[in-house]
Amino acid sequence: MQSKTSFCEFFNKTLFRKNLMRFWPLWAAPSFIGALFPLAVLTNLLRDPHWNLTALQLTASYYEIVTYGLPIISLCYAILVAIAVWSYLFNARSVGLMHTLPVRREGLFLTGILSGMAMMLIPYVITGALAILVFGLSGVFNPMGIFVTILCVIGESFFYFSSATVVAFITGNLFALPVLYFIFHFLAVAMDWLVNLFATGFLFGLQGDYSGVVEYLSPTVYLMSNVRCDRQYTETFISDAIHGSLTPDGYGYYESELTSVALRDGWIVAVYALAGVVLLGIAYALYRRRRSESAGDVVAVGWMKPVFRYGVALCSAMAGGLALYAIFWGSFQSGDTYDVIPLAIAMLIAGTIGYYAANMLLAKSLRVFRGSWKGLALTAVCAVAICCTMYFDLFGVETRVPTLDQIDHMTFYAADNNYALLPDEDAELIEEIRAVHLAIAEDADYIRAMEQNLRYESAKDRSEFSLHNTVRVNYYLKDGTSVSRRYSFPIVRSRLEDPNTYDYALDRMVNGQNSRNKRFHLNDGFIPMNGYIYLEAGDEGHHHSFGDREARQIMAAVANDIANGTCGVYNWFESNHYDYSYAMDYALDLGIEFQKPVVLADGQNSTDYDSISIRVRPEMDHTVNALLQLGLADQDSLKTRLELFPENYSAEAQEWFDKYGYAYETSFPTPTEVITGSSSAASIGIIGGADGPTEVFVTAG
Amino acid sequence: MIEVKNVVKTFDGFHALDGATLTVPTGSVYGLVGPNGAGKSTIIRHLTGIYRQDAGEVAIAGETVWENAALKARIAAIPDDWFYYAQSNVRDMMRFYKGMYPNFSTERYEKLKSVFNIDEKRTIRRLSKGMQKQVAFWLTLSCMPDYLILDEPVDGLDPVMRRQIWSLMMGDVAERGTTVLVSSHNLRELEDVCDHVGIMDKGTVLLERSLAQLQDNMVKLQVVLPDGMADIPAEVPVLHASKIGRIHTIIMRMNAEEATARLAVYNPLLVDAVPLTLEEIFIYELGGVDYAVKDIVL
Repeated sequence: MQSKTSFCEFFNKTLFRKNLMRFWPLWAAPSFIGALFPLAVLTNLLRDPHWNLTALQLTASYYEIVTYGLPIISLCYAILVAIAVWSYLFNARSVGLMHTLPVRREGLFLTGILSGMAMMLIPYVITGALAILVFGLSGVFNPMGIFVTILCVIGESFFYFSSATVVAFITGNLFALPVLYFIFHFLAVAMDWLVNLFATGFLFGLQGDYSGVVEYLSPTVYLMSNVRCDRQYTETFISDAIHGSLTPDGYGYYESELTSVALRDGWIVAVYALAGVVLLGIAYALYRRRRSESAGDVVAVGWMKPVFRYGVALCSAMAGGLALYAIFWGSFQSGDTYDVIPLAIAMLIAGTIGYYAANMLLAKSLRVFRGSWKGLALTAVCAVAICCTMYFDLFGVETRVPTLDQIDHMTFYAADNNYALLPDEDAELIEEIRAVHLAIAEDADYIRAMEQNLRYESAKDRSEFSLHNTVRVNYYLKDGTSVSRRYSFPIVRSRLEDPNTYDYALDRMVNGQNSRNKRFHLNDGFIPMNGYIYLEAGDEGHHHSFGDREARQIMAAVANDIANGTCGVYNWFESNHYDYSYAMDYALDLGIEFQKPVVLADGQNSTDYDSISIRVRPEMDHTVNALLQLGLADQDSLKTRLELFPENYSAEAQEWFDKYGYAYETSFPTPTEVITGSSSAASIGIIGGADGPTEVFVTAG
Repeated sequence: MIEVKNVVKTFDGFHALDGATLTVPTGSVYGLVGPNGAGKSTIIRHLTGIYRQDAGEVAIAGETVWENAALKARIAAIPDDWFYYAQSNVRDMMRFYKGMYPNFSTERYEKLKSVFNIDEKRTIRRLSKGMQKQVAFWLTLSCMPDYLILDEPVDGLDPVMRRQIWSLMMGDVAERGTTVLVSSHNLRELEDVCDHVGIMDKGTVLLERSLAQLQDNMVKLQVVLPDGMADIPAEVPVLHASKIGRIHTIIMRMNAEEATARLAVYNPLLVDAVPLTLEEIFIYELGGVDYAVKDIVL
């Protein structure tokens, strides 16, 4: 017998139509809401025909929506559509009807996919068509921008719906679908955070924040943090003697014009769309093997049930274990690292709860205890194994220091200074830093013991102990991975002369020629460009700017002071005294700006800019003479802060500091972010004084 | 012909079907009976392509049912819990069935409208359970199926409507050669319409015969013994015996002639064969496999 269905085995228009009509509010409501935006623009245009909007500005706004709005909208909308389209799978009656119909699984699957994609895209089509119509009528039209936006919308819609589809075929329970879907999308970043949190509590030097190494497995996070809208502006000087203000070019003002807009890293959307194809393939394979009787099961795929059971147990053991530990043992913890036995007990309790909760969900019954001891024992062994692996550092994480040839670039922070280093240019300094790192890592037990003791003995002799010195080191390796460590440790004066200590290695490195050359841009290609000096004088100060000639002269003088040893050394112990570190400096700010021509990765020529701030002390003869000769200061204005503000260094101030201390932190893009381009800043400068406090300074591009 | 051979189906270790085998001749009305949990609905879900067997074969008209869209276009089924879209009325579901089943007859649908007398524009979920069942029959019969598979089909229908629906189905069998497989607990009703019967228990088909064969294989006799004999002699193989006054009613697993001959040696005053109901056959066949008669829901 000839059957109609034989002609369209892979698509059933009746079912397609039924899906769209049954769930029409799902696509009609967002279509209506979406249509309001272009209609609102239309009313604005009608009210103000001279509304100034360029095609590029419009494209930029499209791209902003693509980068920030589209992933979130698609994430949420896709699960609603998937719930609607695949709802028949979760009910024994409906799955019975659908699988009795003369349509093959392929037909049901493809029809469902097309129905879902239609629901996903109809609101965009309606909104987009209206937007193009409205903006096109007002002469604002950029075909490329629209084309790219359409591709992104289709790509992300497809990916998110595919991911929701694959989850729909993993589960047989309508309520589990959205839960598993969001777990699917955010598990990677959550586990990254959890593992880092866990490891940080055990492993010396490990940074406790989110690493992002598997962020690509959480597409929403990855898309929102990587796809960007790049804009380029051209500034035009408008000469206007009447209304303009005085500028270096005369009377007038600068007008910015948007000259180009691009979607940076938009290819990521295409990669996820391809991943969506793979996910659909997996979903189809699961459907082919899916048993209709699995309707209602939390996990419908047989082999995934143990994965779910032990995955839930493991996550529960780690997250719940940490929570229980923090609640019941956190205040008893003696050092910076977790107490392994209480944590193991907390993990066992949380793991057991997770294990039985997973079993109950899988069995759809509360009676899951009989005969479950084997699984429980396995969960317990895993929890203890995780604790032991971390506690004994079985993977050698604490002592891992990359070799020079493994490093692509690196950053280092110590003694109030940041360094951005490249192996080709700074090999010697990198080796010195590696030696410091290795020395710190090998002294982990000593540092832990010291920190533990010093916490309760902070009133120790301040001339012998410098507490809580921080070192941060980040290696970015050629294989794309990174090693990041952060240490806080005491410096002990007696150990500064012992070559077998990290105190010695760090002091030598910080006060060594290589690090100074790096801090002051001596012989590293940076050219002094200009600068300023601010002379403090009570409530009023005097500011002077100067050009490249003066800047070069000052830097030559600074270099001479360094060579003559009159620039001073970094004193690890002076910060124990309230503002004492600044007391003997001249009361002035001296800043120099540098520039360096560079060739970017794409072959284009560019310029790096940098700024430093120099602390000037009376013993810096060459620098002081240069300032006097250049007329940037005179003998009367050169006073130390102790001379100028004696009240700041009184006994009462020191007493207050001894009692309360002080600390401050500033937050700027890291040097790595600048080097790798993940920050919008164009260059980085190290504002460093003569071994004094330093801040990272970033100039906008 | 519907053929099920040695089908095994396991749910989480429980054997719902354990080597079930049955054959439904083309154009016959086959009644599938058995206690609760025997596997009747499971076997029907295999025949409609919902379940895939772990082992064995499920074929209709010589073709495997699983994923056979062309074959399934010739099969219509009414499960015990028929599904309809929650917001749909009869007309909506008719359009859906019409789009799905190539042989759907609008003409028949219109003809049956007068039989069922249900407002097409009423939402189905607002109809009573019996009326929903009528809608299921209305649509299913409009699909003009060659194979009609029904699971507890007339539950909830009033006696008049039951008779009406059976009449329609018997008409299809007679006119179009439709093959009907029906599972039911209502043995009295099946007895009137079925020409073949299969009895299931614990995932297997214990026996399947034509109704005539079944009735021929078991006999129910009313016997009056001569004076001096109070009971049926122990050597007579009786499945069941009861007594009212001097009249003994016995059931024996043999045909009437053989049973009469066995009893003749005791010179009974009366031996009279009376028809066995399907219900009695069902009870005494299953009695052999330790089925507790008291548990049967009849």
